[in-house]
Amino acid sequence: MSKKYDAIIIGGGHNGLINAAYLAKAGKDVLVLEKRHVLGGAAVSEEVFPGYTFSVCSYVVSLFRPHIIRELNLAKHGYDIIPMDASFQPLPDGDMGLCRWGDASRTRREIARFSKKDSEVYGEFSKVMTHMAKMAKEIIDHPAPDVASINPKELSSLLRMGKVFKNMGPELLQMNTKLLTMSSADFLDLWFESEVLKGPMSVSGIIGTFLGVRSPGTAYVLLHHYMGELDGAFRSWGFSKGGTGGVSIACANAAKSFGAEIRTNVNVSHVKIKNGKATGVVLANGDEIDSKIVISNLDPNRTYLKMIGENNLESNITKEIKRFKLRGSSGKVNFALNGVPNFCKKRDGLEFMKGDIAIVPNVDYVERAYDQAKYGEFSERPYINIVVPSLTDPTLAPPGKHVMSCFVQYAPFNIKEGAENWPKLADKFGDAVQETIKEYVPDFDSLVEHRQVVTPWDLQETFGLTEGNIFQGELTLEQLLFQRPISGYAKYKTPIRGLWMSGSGTHPGGGIMGSGGELSAKSILKDKAI
Amino acid sequence: MPIQTPFHQRTSEHNKNLDWKDWGGYFASNSYNVVNDFEYYAFRHSAGLIDVTPLFKYKVTGKDATLFLSRLIVKDISKLKLNQATYCCWCDDRGMVIDDGTVMYFAENEYFVTAADPSYSWFSRFIKKLDVKIEDVTDTICALALQGPTSRDILKNVCDADIDSLKFFWTTSAKGDGFEFKISRTGYTGDLGYELWVKNADAIKLFDALWHAGQNYNIRMSGIAALDIARIEAGLVMNGVDYHSSLHALIPEQMSTPYELGLGWAVNLDRDPFMGQKALKAEKKNGSKWATVGIDIDWPDLEELYKKHGLPPHTDAGAWRTSIPVYHPQNKTKQIGYATSGTWSPLLKKNIALVTIQKEYAKPGTEVNFEVTVEHHREKVRAIVGKPQFFNPKRKRSIVKKENNE
Amino acid sequence: MSKYDIIVIGGGHNGLTTATILAKKGKKVLLLEKRNVLGGIAAGEEFHPGYSTTGLLHDTSGVRVDVVKNLQLERHGLVLEKHRADVSILSKDGRSSTLTSNVEATSKEIETFSIRDADAYKKYQEFVKKVSKVFNDLMDNPPPNVDVEHLTMASLVVLAKKGMLLKGLGNQSMMELLKVAPMCVADFLNEKFETEFLKAGIAAPAVYGSYGGPWSAYSTINLLMWESAAKVNIKGGPQMLVDALVKASKEAGVEIRTEAEVERILLNEHGVIKGVRIKGGEEINSNSIAASCTPKETFLNLFDDFQLEYELNYWIEKIRSRGTTAKVNIALNKTIELNGKAAEYARTGNSFDEMEKAFDPVKYKEVTDSPFLDIHIPTLSSPSLAPNGHSVVSVLVHQIPYDFNEGWTEKSKKKLGDDVLKELESYAPGISKAVVGMEVLSPLDLEEKYTLTHGHVFHGEHFVDQLVTRPIPSCARYSTPVSGLFLCGSGSHPGGGITCAPGSMAAIEILKTL
Repeated sequence: MSKKYDAIIIGGGHNGLINAAYLAKAGKDVLVLEKRHVLGGAAVSEEVFPGYTFSVCSYVVSLFRPHIIRELNLAKHGYDIIPMDASFQPLPDGDMGLCRWGDASRTRREIARFSKKDSEVYGEFSKVMTHMAKMAKEIIDHPAPDVASINPKELSSLLRMGKVFKNMGPELLQMNTKLLTMSSADFLDLWFESEVLKGPMSVSGIIGTFLGVRSPGTAYVLLHHYMGELDGAFRSWGFSKGGTGGVSIACANAAKSFGAEIRTNVNVSHVKIKNGKATGVVLANGDEIDSKIVISNLDPNRTYLKMIGENNLESNITKEIKRFKLRGSSGKVNFALNGVPNFCKKRDGLEFMKGDIAIVPNVDYVERAYDQAKYGEFSERPYINIVVPSLTDPTLAPPGKHVMSCFVQYAPFNIKEGAENWPKLADKFGDAVQETIKEYVPDFDSLVEHRQVVTPWDLQETFGLTEGNIFQGELTLEQLLFQRPISGYAKYKTPIRGLWMSGSGTHPGGGIMGSGGELSAKSILKDKAI
Repeated sequence: MPIQTPFHQRTSEHNKNLDWKDWGGYFASNSYNVVNDFEYYAFRHSAGLIDVTPLFKYKVTGKDATLFLSRLIVKDISKLKLNQATYCCWCDDRGMVIDDGTVMYFAENEYFVTAADPSYSWFSRFIKKLDVKIEDVTDTICALALQGPTSRDILKNVCDADIDSLKFFWTTSAKGDGFEFKISRTGYTGDLGYELWVKNADAIKLFDALWHAGQNYNIRMSGIAALDIARIEAGLVMNGVDYHSSLHALIPEQMSTPYELGLGWAVNLDRDPFMGQKALKAEKKNGSKWATVGIDIDWPDLEELYKKHGLPPHTDAGAWRTSIPVYHPQNKTKQIGYATSGTWSPLLKKNIALVTIQKEYAKPGTEVNFEVTVEHHREKVRAIVGKPQFFNPKRKRSIVKKENNE
Repeated sequence: MSKYDIIVIGGGHNGLTTATILAKKGKKVLLLEKRNVLGGIAAGEEFHPGYSTTGLLHDTSGVRVDVVKNLQLERHGLVLEKHRADVSILSKDGRSSTLTSNVEATSKEIETFSIRDADAYKKYQEFVKKVSKVFNDLMDNPPPNVDVEHLTMASLVVLAKKGMLLKGLGNQSMMELLKVAPMCVADFLNEKFETEFLKAGIAAPAVYGSYGGPWSAYSTINLLMWESAAKVNIKGGPQMLVDALVKASKEAGVEIRTEAEVERILLNEHGVIKGVRIKGGEEINSNSIAASCTPKETFLNLFDDFQLEYELNYWIEKIRSRGTTAKVNIALNKTIELNGKAAEYARTGNSFDEMEKAFDPVKYKEVTDSPFLDIHIPTLSSPSLAPNGHSVVSVLVHQIPYDFNEGWTEKSKKKLGDDVLKELESYAPGISKAVVGMEVLSPLDLEEKYTLTHGHVFHGEHFVDQLVTRPIPSCARYSTPVSGLFLCGSGSHPGGGITCAPGSMAAIEILKTL
């Protein structure tokens, strides 16, 4: 291998591919290396059982930055999101459940069954959240301001933030603090009274974190529903056509169209470092590939401790990176079904099931699920977020059959038996999920043709997510902004010159947003690193 | 999906145009015919019947009901006499309007309140220690508006109540053939008219009785489109169109005070504390920034503009609800206000609009410039500022026995 | 013209502080106290004939020294020890460790069971010492008035200066503080220590009065605040502070009326403070009022509906003050030792998981069977509080919810008392047999007895959004949107506990306008 690339990107997840696309678009010679046989990382579609295609890990798209779609012309490359209209919460004992629709009046009537007040307060709540979302947008669309330095440049970025706060008044301003620090349940308590309604609303704050809905610091994720990126959809959520992997394929196609080279089945062993500078990568088979810079799309733990290696790091950096909390808390169970799992026979048609279905009958239910996880067990009755994407995208399963994807929390990586014993518990975990579903779909067992259980251990071993954390690191305040992944190296740089990061472990964090890939690429170009 | 009102069975039979709208989560007929002028003319010449069930309706009862409403509403509800009704609005602390509606004093410690927006949550948070109960009757009591010069005669034929002496903004109980209902002499057309409130179970009976009796008086089904024309002629502002509820407004610029909406007459300042009192007192003292006016868009001017393009003058048949800029009398690039809704008035033969304008330009007779689009070109046309109320017939307030006194 | 420049509502330690400072500046001050005794939750009580406590709360380590000096409380009989009191951390396995103000000595004792922790404790206290400047600066000054809405370069420079203070820590400590502040106290201490019972004992003050366990984020802030503030000790407990304050206030000319319950705060036609009406109908005029009762009591109970602006009312209603503290006072016919040692102050916790498990039921409005305890045996230093040879054990029981499914009845209170005794048996075997009298105060009792909204001993939870801009932003600097009304109690910055800080800073703000 004599060719020297401008940049090598380790990891073909969506952020890595976006990073490659931006760099290639700027005329750089870019190579993406993916360990697995498929691209996409956690944003991947796989035909797990013949005829059934699953979004194995990440299953809905919500916060993908619209400007990335425009700038990379992703729609041309196959980016296609089918919006979700409904969000359904089945309730036990044959209740009608609660369905929230794009149609505001219809949703109001649904909520009024549980609380008339709540049904009307919804609008007031949205108003406050819209104000808050202005702040959030400001934060996620720019690199994190560096609090450590008090130079005029950083101050002026604060001034820009100031404009966002215009006309908010002191109490609404303080709402920012509340939102950033409070628990999602407490925050919702400021407006709502119905435990049923607060159930599915509060869980958006805990997805992927090892926290409960009553844990401080979970409220701010509620904002994600108010960023309003998908026009006209009640929640800015949707399915990618052909599964979540479709997003990654579109990003890969865009990158290729700009001239990037992408290779799969290439296992990088570590980054080649000479005189404190990254000069390329060393593969597991011993081959070396040279480049001017290297971009790691892996999580901070892998990037620092495996790709760089402790011997190349100062001890205080090693210490800091080891403090970075990953603590995966969720798993996935994917079902291939021979028919439609009807979550509420009292409702007409299947429209109510075409969005997501949240098993979380009330706030206490999910908090009790967390209590169990705190002491090292998976929840016997977990919070499950279910989608049956084949109802809207029939290409995913044979005619009349369905794929059903269940995001399950809590499944703590660190179980008391020890994480390495997860494979032994996988079936028990899958059974707990199936039992829980049966409380709403009594004939569920007879529908199941195949079942795939993805434990946090699998997320680590197969998808390279340390401790099975789907966001490459807990989204707690001390691991966000200028501290993601560690302070001093929050602007996509690392202590190794020429080695950059672009994954969810960098600002602004996890989810299929694309921001890490985009902002890191723009930082690299601005820095004239290549 | 909107749901059907208890009148749906009948209204859908009449709705030949299949033109439905979502009004507060209910199916409402926008127009019953492709050409819907006659639905409007019914209001002015005979009687138009509208299903107004989607109005939000509340029953407020309890020992402190009067006190409660007086505190919430900028009008002094304690002044209402039994069976009297009033148009009113309610505000937040800053004196910004939240919604407007009608309060009817049906019985001792019992009020009936209508609103454009869901208001249960807002009202109920003020109950605190008061002896007040609020019941949302939106889904259990339905309503028809019968509006127009022959509405009185039709109504006389379907019930036992003394309709002749029922005064403007008063209410009465009535018995029809096998059903009971409430009548209020209120409406949204600025004409003689009534609103009829009935239990869901008796909806069809009331409808059929009215329709039957109305045959001799040219009764017609009227849709929202026709109603819009009539209410603009009458200068009645609409929540969500001419102003926005301060509960939903994101920035102060989107909010309005009662004075700015021309509802100053519905504010009673000097009394026990009520929501918005402090701010409204200050505004009364210091003056308002904005005013709501009507403008008469000069027809010859408009004709001239069309002539320039070789076209005859054109105007839309119905009312419009888009925001259109209004400019300074001389400086045609300086925006001084905006029209929020307007219509060609079939009766007045005028192009009229409701306009929010800076106070200094609100004096009747002021000439302003109004933006029109003629053959894809943006042009300015002269318009004259006046009171919002373009049409106010005597019959609106008349009673039969002493017709000339009112 | 009114006889009084200002009326202070509530004769707790903060009300007394405010009243005394104002009177010393020549203001005519009337202080109204609902109960027949002064001192509020700092007052000692005879809970069983012949047996008294020295206050509902125990901890006097945070009393602001400048208040003691300014009011010359030592001249009025206060004995201020210039170090915090020793606290014994108890383990169920019989071990214990005494945390003293002497870090070296404490570390030595820890070394007997963990060399790693002995070292960690020193480093921990070094860190506390570094950051305590920042926290004390925050607590000793009224909240900064930063108007983010009209952010200018000038206000940014002010911010930057505050930032420089942070910088004064040194870059490393500053970054460390920013890193750990949002953390839960369990993560924070797990990074440093290995011994479970020690960690739990050190962490305990962080969760006192809070609606959360050691695994709740931001609890580290509470720990660091407590550690930074805890510097002294009042000999004889809170009641001694009350005695000195009462003497000082009388000398300064404060007129004090007890059993004078304020029913209504009166406004004139312009919405400006006019005076108060007390139970029985008497109206007392004054153009200013300083309320030391809870913000919720002040705004929601002392005003008529609609007298307050909706917005103010709205945000006050949203203050979180979910009480999680109960009190168990025990009269014993002998003296006791805890894990074989005589200790005036002691804490239990045993492990983060056990503390967290004590909190878990609170979320479901249930009460734990194994509470963790905050123990004070006042008779060790003040034997006169009980008959000769007898003793008083005063226990604050944390993570006991105000909002209890079964309701706070005599039966449920008895169960709580029994559970506390059962816990105490682990550290003082045989204690149950020595009990001659016992008083259990549920959070509901605390609300009724001390007018603490929802029984919250700090007048509102100490959580990030309710600190500094305490209780709500528009009332954060002791003045309120109601002209003439000031807040001077624990519901204001820097918060609850026996510090006298809100009372003293409020007085300074009030003087600017009086």
